Amino acid sequence: MGQEGFTAQKRGSSTLPTSTAPNGGSRSGRSLLRGGGGGNRQIHKTLNNIKITILCGLVTILVLRGTIGFGSLVSDNDLENQAIIEETNRILAEIRSDKDPDDPEDNQDQSVINLNDTYSLGAKISNWDEERSLWLSRNQDFPNMVNGKARILLVTGSPPNPCDNAIGDHYLLKSIKNKIDYCRIHGIEIVYNMAHLDKELAGYWAKLPLIRRLMLSHPEVEWIWWMDSDALFTDMVFEIPLSKYKDHNMVIHGYPDLLFNQKSWIALNTGSFLFRNCQWSLDLLDEWAPMGPKGPVREEAGKILTANLKGRPAFEADDQSALIYLLITKTEWMKKVFVENSYFLHGYWDGLVDRYEEMMEKYHPGLGDERWPFVTHFVGCKPCGSYGDYPVQRCLSSMERAFNFADNQVLKLYGFRHRGLLSPKIKRIRNETVTPLENVDQFDIRHSTQGSSN
Amino acid sequence: MLDRIFGTRRTRQFQRILRNGKVTLLCLVLTIVVLRGNLGAGKFGTPEQDFKEIRETFYQYRGKRAEPRRVLEELQTTTEQTASSATNNYAEFDINKLFVDEEEDVKKNPNEPYSIGPKISDWDEQRGEWLKQNPSFSNFLNANKPRVLLVTGSSPKPCENPVGDHYLLKSIKNKIDYCRVHGIEIFYNMALLDAEMAGFWAKLPLIRKLLLSHPEVEFLWWMDSDAMFTDMAFEVPWERYKDKNLVLHGWNEMVYDQKNWIGLNTGSFLLRNCQWSLDLLDAWAPMGPKGKVRDEAGKILTRELKDRPVFEADDQSAMVWLLASQKDRWASKVYLENHYYLHGYWGILVDRYEEMIASYHPGLGDHRWPLVTHFVGCKPCGKFGDYPVERCLKQMDRAFNFGDNQILQMYGFTHKSLASRRVKRTRNDSSNPLEVKDELGLLHPAYKVTKISSS
Repeated sequence: MGQEGFTAQKRGSSTLPTSTAPNGGSRSGRSLLRGGGGGNRQIHKTLNNIKITILCGLVTILVLRGTIGFGSLVSDNDLENQAIIEETNRILAEIRSDKDPDDPEDNQDQSVINLNDTYSLGAKISNWDEERSLWLSRNQDFPNMVNGKARILLVTGSPPNPCDNAIGDHYLLKSIKNKIDYCRIHGIEIVYNMAHLDKELAGYWAKLPLIRRLMLSHPEVEWIWWMDSDALFTDMVFEIPLSKYKDHNMVIHGYPDLLFNQKSWIALNTGSFLFRNCQWSLDLLDEWAPMGPKGPVREEAGKILTANLKGRPAFEADDQSALIYLLITKTEWMKKVFVENSYFLHGYWDGLVDRYEEMMEKYHPGLGDERWPFVTHFVGCKPCGSYGDYPVQRCLSSMERAFNFADNQVLKLYGFRHRGLLSPKIKRIRNETVTPLENVDQFDIRHSTQGSSN
Repeated sequence: MLDRIFGTRRTRQFQRILRNGKVTLLCLVLTIVVLRGNLGAGKFGTPEQDFKEIRETFYQYRGKRAEPRRVLEELQTTTEQTASSATNNYAEFDINKLFVDEEEDVKKNPNEPYSIGPKISDWDEQRGEWLKQNPSFSNFLNANKPRVLLVTGSSPKPCENPVGDHYLLKSIKNKIDYCRVHGIEIFYNMALLDAEMAGFWAKLPLIRKLLLSHPEVEFLWWMDSDAMFTDMAFEVPWERYKDKNLVLHGWNEMVYDQKNWIGLNTGSFLLRNCQWSLDLLDAWAPMGPKGKVRDEAGKILTRELKDRPVFEADDQSAMVWLLASQKDRWASKVYLENHYYLHGYWGILVDRYEEMIASYHPGLGDHRWPLVTHFVGCKPCGKFGDYPVERCLKQMDRAFNFGDNQILQMYGFTHKSLASRRVKRTRNDSSNPLEVKDELGLLHPAYKVTKISSS
């Protein structure tokens, strides 16, 4: 029957003459229907076409369902996840923006500094040495020497808002853990600053008012040690030989040749330096600060510095260039400044990080110099920002390696080490024992440094 | 056309046959395809596999690589990856490509019962002897104050949530501040010491290792990374615990009588360095090993403890269970503290900070001015917490600033508001800084004085 139907559609016109022929019952029956005229036939034809189209469509869907399935449809769970992720991103953007919710009076406070005014860090103090020694004599409970060593306060910090990307915050966290470890081993206290104490001195200049403030509030502290957030301790055993600096008030890593002969802008590094808590330091800070205030003062100062220092690119005044300029123009300050390069109080990372395996093989912690650097400083990496001066892969893998290199020295007491310098996982290097104190005596770094007074 | 060759009738028959043949073939093909789609055809595969294959072929043509292989030599990794990703832009970098695992995890014998470490039975004697021989590492800093080590930690890998690391950073800064004021040392852990005790159980092997490696430490203070100090002036009343070895925030009735799973909180607790504590850790650990042990233990705990939801065993529920079921053995040395917030659930505290500032002062440590605000359930490091993200993050900022104000006031500053990152002066700069006293007396407090005989 179907065949006849097909036949009828396909041979519309040619069946016309046969329709009237009286042969075949069903055929004639069909012919009678067809005999109703061309229009009828066409309608039937169209109907049949439609039927077949629908049939084919159904079959196609069936086949496709059988093959690909419904996998592309999104489930409820995914939609919910999507919503949460979007909300997090929105909040994140809000947090990252510098806009503060309750800050209407901020704009009115901004006053333009006259180029002729000299900026002041604070009320002038002239008798700090006397005041301080008087305080120390009255407060014997807070001496400036602990266990034969001068009291040191390590100061570091980072901006109060989240980094431009999450990796930056993660490395800030690892960096502070690294500092916590070193300072716990060596009895040093830490101040982690996240506040801009002075709006004018923002950015790298922010350390100046902070150091001054801490000196004045903590007379029991003998040395204030500023350390950048991108500097990591890589020698957990090495201690600063403070006795070497008994006649100096500032210890900074650098090269005298670069400083005086070449007047290079990288002759010293202000990423890691020590300041004695005394009048001299307050005076130096007062001399140092004037190039700092943001705006036209800093811009103009930047131009002076670029003109006078070798190799300095053109940008606003930074604290390092300003200090170098100060020391080479007013050389009387140099009497009390110790330019240290016998160990890496600041160690430029690029030349150090690839050699860690070699160091582990040939040397041992406690040297502090190029054989086992005291500090590895990741200048230029800027993981908290969006762009660094070096490829990200190199910076981050180097920072991870430096962190693990140092962490191995801490974990040694507990009988562990990292599986590799790029691995976050650890492995045992010593079995558990029922007499753990033997290991403590042997491996605790404090027991080897205790007794060697500075 | 065919008419002329075969004749009309023949042609028609022929055409009919052709048509029939076409239809038959069509139906046959359709049947095969449908059957293959539904049942598969053995080695010829299913259409779904075809689809995947086609997709992969297209991807290959586009140049997409397969998963990066694990490379044993770090140097090779560096050079390979430098070639493909020499970008200076941090946003484009996938941090998870950085880590390289050089060795396989140690496979443990599943039939071996878990042991947190070899049994030590004479720790008090060993430690006592060591302290006698090392007088410069005294376990007491002055007559009233024991040497305390605050222990906290987080994962060595970046948080899944992009703001998670920032809040971890703020949290550790907050702890650094409190501990500096109170003369407490900090250990920030980022290493998983025992792969079987992962997650919330990771603190157990860590605590044991630290107790044994630092005999000079009298009290170990475990604190979660999502707990913040909000009372910088409150000093823990150490004399209260001179006969106790474990101090947790909780209520006796809720633990011993009701066996409520939140009757105590293991997010912030004190543990004395002694034999009793080692024994406690040995008794606490067995529910921890991940896998079947932890899951089965979870079922027991849900059954035995009040209101506990169904999930794997956690250290807090296990502690409640341990104390309630072995009360005779442990309870005499456990102090469930609720007179101050050694752990303070954030939900009932964070909205009242302004009221606290108006009516009270730091140093109380209790509901009037909580020592610790603990953001349980917020999980800022993970992707999903138990509370809305906005509420959690904003309140963590407020709690941080609330605590930070007490530190900044030492130096003459305060936050502009509890929601603001910016600070403003509270007193003018003086030319006689030593005459200015900080209101809370945090700069040189009595409890920080160290009076031990040095060698």
